[in-house]
Amino acid sequence: MSPTPDSYDPQARRAGVRRTAWIAAAVAVALFVMIILKGVLG
Amino acid sequence: MATHAATHDHHDEKPQGFLDRWLFTTNHKDIGTLYLVFSFTMVCIGAAMSGVIRAELMKPGLQLVQPYFFNEMTTMHALVMIFGAIMPAFVGLANWMVPLMIGAPDMALPRMNNWSFWILPFAFVLLLSTLFMPGGAPAGGWTMYPPLVLQGGNGIAFMIFAIHLMGISSIMGAINIIATILNMRAPGMDLLKMPVFVWSWLITAFLLIAVLPVLAGAVTMLLTDKYFGTSFFNAAGGGDPVMYQHIFWFFGHPEVYIMILPAFGIISEIVPTFARKPLFGYKAMVYALACIAFLSFIVWAHHMFTVGMPLGGELFFMYATMLIAVPTGVKVFNWLTTMWRGSLTFETPMLWAIAFVILFTIGGFSGVMTAVVPADFQYQDTYFVVAHFHYVLVTGALFSIIGAIYYWWPKWTGRMYNDKWGKIHFWWSVVFANVLFFPQHFLGLAGMPRRIPDYNVAFADFNFISSIGAFGMFFTPFMFFFILWHSKRHGAKADARAWDGARGLEWTVPSPAPYHTFSTPPLVDDSLLAHGDVSH
Repeated sequence: MSPTPDSYDPQARRAGVRRTAWIAAAVAVALFVMIILKGVLG
Repeated sequence: MATHAATHDHHDEKPQGFLDRWLFTTNHKDIGTLYLVFSFTMVCIGAAMSGVIRAELMKPGLQLVQPYFFNEMTTMHALVMIFGAIMPAFVGLANWMVPLMIGAPDMALPRMNNWSFWILPFAFVLLLSTLFMPGGAPAGGWTMYPPLVLQGGNGIAFMIFAIHLMGISSIMGAINIIATILNMRAPGMDLLKMPVFVWSWLITAFLLIAVLPVLAGAVTMLLTDKYFGTSFFNAAGGGDPVMYQHIFWFFGHPEVYIMILPAFGIISEIVPTFARKPLFGYKAMVYALACIAFLSFIVWAHHMFTVGMPLGGELFFMYATMLIAVPTGVKVFNWLTTMWRGSLTFETPMLWAIAFVILFTIGGFSGVMTAVVPADFQYQDTYFVVAHFHYVLVTGALFSIIGAIYYWWPKWTGRMYNDKWGKIHFWWSVVFANVLFFPQHFLGLAGMPRRIPDYNVAFADFNFISSIGAFGMFFTPFMFFFILWHSKRHGAKADARAWDGARGLEWTVPSPAPYHTFSTPPLVDDSLLAHGDVSH
């Protein structure tokens, strides 16, 4: 991710999209697990 | 601004056949349309439920429905309107407009986009099917507090599964929006050149990813408490029902901002167009959005003052809540200063935007009132709170959605609508929304509790007035539908730049927007962006 996109390179974009999506999904799953753990551990 | 040659793509082939076009679509415009149609359907269902509620409350005494059914209606009305109407409508607008505004050919993950939408109808079939089950639909309020909610029938399991599906849908949608905005912008579209609507959705998407897993965790624990013998929230088994409230509102308060930040973005697009001036204080608007989003995470317990907490906690959550009025005030100030000395005209979208600014501010003020701890002990669970959040969500979020549809409709369909009818729709809605919700402030201050089918005769007059307002509002979806249907059939052709003062990439493509846009990246010219030439 760049604050100033200066290229339209499809490969770079695909890699960026993939990276962003996986990070966001991992954060969502981690939060879900943490909340359940909070419930389990009290 | 992009040149016409760069943006007018000469392929407009839509898939042939109904299923290919709508069920298997990966096109952001089609999926945006699906979200908006779904949202409209849910608005009608939710409005019918509120019709039952207001009909029952028109007079004191039990009139039409049994108390349990009344509670089912209040619970389902909230769930349908929040998760089925307001949120999908904003996602639909984002699907339609974000790629067009940043010069992207589509969303970053088009197939996931299709999946995000098509999960929703199944989720709501599950949720609404509980109305026909033995034991009935969930009736413990949309907050689903244990132990009350666990005393319901097996509809609870369906509600929880429906919420999981809605959450998965929203998280996938949020991932898609973040990936699109961070990776798919046209060359030259810097982050601080993006339209405020795009910024508002980027921040909203972060909120969604941060809080929906929290809701999913909370309802999963409810499910195991009910069916698998756990005691997360069961005091008799060593659990803590108050912990549920903390977890729920850690989701619930940011959820309020999920439903209003995109509205801020919409108003920030409409007002400059009809004031024919760049948005005043673009950067301040962006930072205010981020500030509101941050603060939304540290105010959740203001929903729980009467539950009981240490004095230090009460003070912290009170002051933190009041602090939100500062960035919100920045936004209202900047909308007003954008209008100040502008060449204002009052086409239909502008009327909705102005009504938003005024009426949302009323909802904001009553929010500050409920933030005051000693006063909140009086307001808690009264109709004052009902009035407050309906000013925020109906005259705020919903009005902004209607304004956005009137604003971008010519771009979507290539047709103008009858502006006079649009204004009649506006004035009808604004009058009856206030007749409906304003008296509820007085009812709440006088002590009428929320979520009850019967009440003291002292509350009769204002309830009668409020119900008249509800019956007036009942006609508005039909008016809206008729105006748009008539426009689609008979409306005058719209120009590419449908509004005189409109700026931004979306207005450089023809109207209606071709099925595929920006396959060739556009060139961005700062001086013609909606917020003017920003230097940074």
